[in-house]
Amino acid sequence: MTADVETDDRDLELVPARRLLDPEPIARFELAPGDRILVAEGDRVSVGMGLAERQREPRVDDGPPVAGAAEVDHPALRAGDWWPGDGHEAGGPLRRRHPRSPAGELLHPEDGRWRIATGSHVDVLEAPAAGTVLEAIPGRGLTIRLAGSALAGTSAAGIPTRGRLERAIGETGLRGALDVGRAGAILVVDGRIDSEAIIRARATGVRGVIAASLAGKDLRDLQASEARQRASLQPLAPFAVLVLDGTARRPLAGPVADLLGALEGREVAIVVDPPLVVFNPPNPAIPPPGRDRVRVMGGDLVGREGRWLRGAGLRRFPAGVLLEAATIALDDGEVATVALADLERFV
Amino acid sequence: MTVDPNVLFAIDLGAATASAALIGPVDGRRRLLGSLALPAGVSEDRLAGHLLERIRRADPALADDLGLDDGALATVPRRIVRSAPPPTLVVLAPTVRARLAVERIAGVAGWRTRGASLEPDGTIGLTRTALERGVDALAVTGDPATSREETTAMAELAATVEGIVGRPSAPRLIRVGELARDDLGLEPEAPTGEGSIYAPGPEAGEPPGEPLRHLLERLDPTGPTSRRSALTALMDLAAALDRRIELVEVGFDGALRAVADPHGLEAAPAFVPAASAVPLDLDDDAVDEVLAWSTVALDRHRMRDRLRDLRLSPWLEAHGDGARLRLAAARAAVTRLVALTPWLEALPAPDLIVVAGGAWAAAPGPAIALAIADVIRRPGTSQLAFDHARLLGPLGAIEDPVERQALFAELADDLLAPLGSLIVPLGLRAGRSAGRLTVRGPAGETSLDLVPGGLQLVDLPPGQLAEVDLRFRDPVGMGTRGRHLTVQVGGGLGGLLVDLRDIPLRLPERAERRRALLEAWQAAFWAGGDQ
Repeated sequence: MTADVETDDRDLELVPARRLLDPEPIARFELAPGDRILVAEGDRVSVGMGLAERQREPRVDDGPPVAGAAEVDHPALRAGDWWPGDGHEAGGPLRRRHPRSPAGELLHPEDGRWRIATGSHVDVLEAPAAGTVLEAIPGRGLTIRLAGSALAGTSAAGIPTRGRLERAIGETGLRGALDVGRAGAILVVDGRIDSEAIIRARATGVRGVIAASLAGKDLRDLQASEARQRASLQPLAPFAVLVLDGTARRPLAGPVADLLGALEGREVAIVVDPPLVVFNPPNPAIPPPGRDRVRVMGGDLVGREGRWLRGAGLRRFPAGVLLEAATIALDDGEVATVALADLERFV
Repeated sequence: MTVDPNVLFAIDLGAATASAALIGPVDGRRRLLGSLALPAGVSEDRLAGHLLERIRRADPALADDLGLDDGALATVPRRIVRSAPPPTLVVLAPTVRARLAVERIAGVAGWRTRGASLEPDGTIGLTRTALERGVDALAVTGDPATSREETTAMAELAATVEGIVGRPSAPRLIRVGELARDDLGLEPEAPTGEGSIYAPGPEAGEPPGEPLRHLLERLDPTGPTSRRSALTALMDLAAALDRRIELVEVGFDGALRAVADPHGLEAAPAFVPAASAVPLDLDDDAVDEVLAWSTVALDRHRMRDRLRDLRLSPWLEAHGDGARLRLAAARAAVTRLVALTPWLEALPAPDLIVVAGGAWAAAPGPAIALAIADVIRRPGTSQLAFDHARLLGPLGAIEDPVERQALFAELADDLLAPLGSLIVPLGLRAGRSAGRLTVRGPAGETSLDLVPGGLQLVDLPPGQLAEVDLRFRDPVGMGTRGRHLTVQVGGGLGGLLVDLRDIPLRLPERAERRRALLEAWQAAFWAGGDQ
């Protein structure tokens, strides 16, 4: 069947919409008790600036004595405050002095002394993008309004990272692309990818991978590999994987591919909570996708894109299910009726 | 043109499904004129406008009579309810056992629970869990200390909690049980206000844990939601129909199970976030529960991925294999709901089971009937019905009880789609025949052998009543015990289901045999289900 010209876009708004660009992205960085926050609310942060020191293996230790009301010549300490230590890392007693204590986060008073969360090995969490600190809560995390725009994904894993954007086509393209020349890059992979290829990419100095889809098992394998690295106490280079669609195999959406194509060679960042690719908007700006542009997300035509023609009312689909449907003209000219819920559009 | 004052939009904006229904007078009585369900995210105006256009196209004369012209969208009143994600309660305790006792009760009072215990997690683990984002309240509990070690552990827990609540970002504190009050040196407080709260222990009250469940339900900070409104609607419906009704509602973020008779609730209702259509935490147990009901051959990894995608896009591929997967997930959800509500499972079979919620939104009626028969297995006779237009939430939110009850009395026939009747005898002995069944209805008389272990279907269309005569070789339990029983049943989309399978249902261990058996049962109920 070929595309007919009769269109009716009244029902187009019933198609689930997905935001292509978030102009004011907000990122969260999870912290745990014992992690030291290096910024404060309202601070402006630049790329690469240290946001916090994360303890690899936090432990509980004795902290400073709990001061009596008469002894306090500065604001009283309270849980969550950072205790800078008093110069004796081992915390052992010295003659004629109170026992000294290492640096750490105050947890709670016990037997006249604060208990603190401290540790020996720290990883510095760096800002993957510039922004303004909205919230800095000890033991919980940071919230930062990032400068620039963002493209949202569905899941991400790893440590927030930054690098220049480069494209690799499919798993073969990715394997061919894996050499030290790609060190410092964030690779966009349009096609199938697995955990082995991602781990190899990380080993060659690649800073991140953006994929249309990734099986859950591969994501878990990657997380397990990362946990093993962390346990080895070697410094971890920032590396993150961001998945744009989900676990089912799909090609990159046309508008997303256009956007990432325009960003090729430029610096972008990946943050994991929420999963975002953050960048300065390209100049000249990418024209937004056509209002009637739709993408098939499920069913036999998964991954195909086209143009909205009209709503098709209730239709019976396989397994005898009645669903709202729509008629669309695919890019190759074919006209198809698909379940309305299997479509998405970018706004 | 003036819109008839009795016309009303009932809109339920769920976490995964947005639905609208239009109610209006026909021949002097308010009726359901039409309904629509779509993926969540569509605007309320567009949803209502689409439904209005459809009704105007389907019956222009009625639309004209009611004044449903172009301007009606702005003038027809709307009764709207929304879903909200369940609140999160973190439970801290010295031991895993003490923590799970409180989590179990909070989990049926509408709270999503997380927890940490001093025993395996330590002070840092406790503090970290309590300070995580999205925590609405913190409960601390403990066992009576019987040794020096336990006393030390309680003191350490108390100190840790003191540190947590001393932070400016600390969640609200609920101190559970006498022990918590004594050992932490705290006084009981009223359950209102912003301070910490004293709550009865998980073993206190009759039945044990009920006072704690009741308090936690009152402390739910999400306010009125469609699920809470549906509970009000259940009670009104039971009064309007003069029946004992069980509501089984399964949605994206949780489930509700309750039983009401014409005088009110028979037992405490259960709001169970863990029984959502797709659990938030897809651990191996959650995946295996769905695999156990799945007629689609998938390994555990693939099933986990499918469920994760279903959680991301609940309406994606709601047909073909996707429809079968959804029903397997819904069965698993109801299985969890049943397991977590033993006090409701112990009640006698109700006259009517009402199925509701987004988990069933795109499923064919007979397939829903079979899914419920598979999982809720009480001996007796019950009718099954489906809240197909998702009206229970919006109508239950009407504040005026007189107006609400009047509306339920008028709409009772429209708001429930009859799925059929279910006959489940208990205590059948294995053998070739357990007896004989005769159905006398408007279409004549049908007679069939009762084969133990089987699932038999008698065609009985919606709106028809029939008398069923059951003659068993040995006495069976169906509310009462006897050999010869006669019951009245109503028809439905699935007809009359005579379920002679085991109670509880036993399925083969081997996946291939289990799938084959489930497919065979499904084939009789789900036209086109194998496509």
